[in-house]
Amino acid sequence: MKDFDSLKSMYQQPSSSGVVMQADTIDKISLNTKRKMKKQQLGGTIMLTLTAIFIAALAIFGNFNFSKWYTYAAMGLICLICLAQAAFMYSIYRKLDSINDTDTPAVHLQQWEQYYEMRKQQNKWNMPLYYILLNVAMGIYLLEIFTGRPALYVGIFLAVYAAWMIYAYFYLGKRTKAKEEKRLNDIISDLKSIELQLNDPQ
Amino acid sequence: MNQQEQFTELYNQYATGIKKLCLGYTNDEALAKDLLQETFISVWNNMKNFRAEAKWSTWIYRIAVNTCLGYLRKKKPVIVDMEHNDFIPPAEVQTTIEEDVQLLYKSISCLAETDRFIISLVLEDLPYEEIAAISGITENNLRVKIYRIKKQLTEIYNSYERL
Repeated sequence: MKDFDSLKSMYQQPSSSGVVMQADTIDKISLNTKRKMKKQQLGGTIMLTLTAIFIAALAIFGNFNFSKWYTYAAMGLICLICLAQAAFMYSIYRKLDSINDTDTPAVHLQQWEQYYEMRKQQNKWNMPLYYILLNVAMGIYLLEIFTGRPALYVGIFLAVYAAWMIYAYFYLGKRTKAKEEKRLNDIISDLKSIELQLNDPQ
Repeated sequence: MNQQEQFTELYNQYATGIKKLCLGYTNDEALAKDLLQETFISVWNNMKNFRAEAKWSTWIYRIAVNTCLGYLRKKKPVIVDMEHNDFIPPAEVQTTIEEDVQLLYKSISCLAETDRFIISLVLEDLPYEEIAAISGITENNLRVKIYRIKKQLTEIYNSYERL
């Protein structure tokens, strides 16, 4: 039987577990969720911005010679949607960046809880809105592209496109959304339970 | 003193203690190293924001605690409830001091998340005032908690050791 003081002296003695790496080796890949999440949001922001630039460059320098103004307007709309989504992702990046690792654990946990609550709300409207707007813009764009094409060709294209969109939104999207929602709820509940531990006087 | 020199000094001073704290959290050497590294990356990134209102040790241990709690969000811990006696330690024969220390880390990792960092700081012999500043818990609450956690940890450790 050991008492607490024996455990304390055992803890304080130098052991092989206490051996640590050198300070200058600290710059390797990390398991940090925050950094990974930030990287993901920043990566998405950059990719979407580049996509918008690419589409804008195509519209301006592509020599497509579209006869209808609304085809160019659709390309412009796609650019704007990409840029709006990029701005949205950047705002998430900033939110993550603002979480302060040096605050007290209770405040730090609350910041994460607020972040996850925000993401839970955003998940409800962001992807549906993004999909709808993108599809409206694509629909307008395809109006001129399909003019004068054989009906069968148009029919097949639209059927494949619609099938993919329905599959992506109603199957893949819903499944991902449900999974994400479960994940967020689990995290929020874990955070609440740790916060409770901290606030419990016992 | 430039930032790199300051960082190296802080690392040399606190890395061993932080590593022990991380080991108590995870009971896993590799993960503890990752968490230690993560803590010091965060220290480096936040050094420019350090205000002399707090001690370096308070500030660094707070980052370490937040880093460990972040890790625990991803991996649900096994919390031992001694009152309901559902704790079944494995039958291992502990002989050397090193093994005793490992057993201690294992026992710490059986505690509730927040209890792990509190008791690790107590074992590290940090003053209660500083532990209160790190955790953001009032000193009175902290004393009550520490009394309970000490008892719980000793019970867990001795249960392991008996086998």
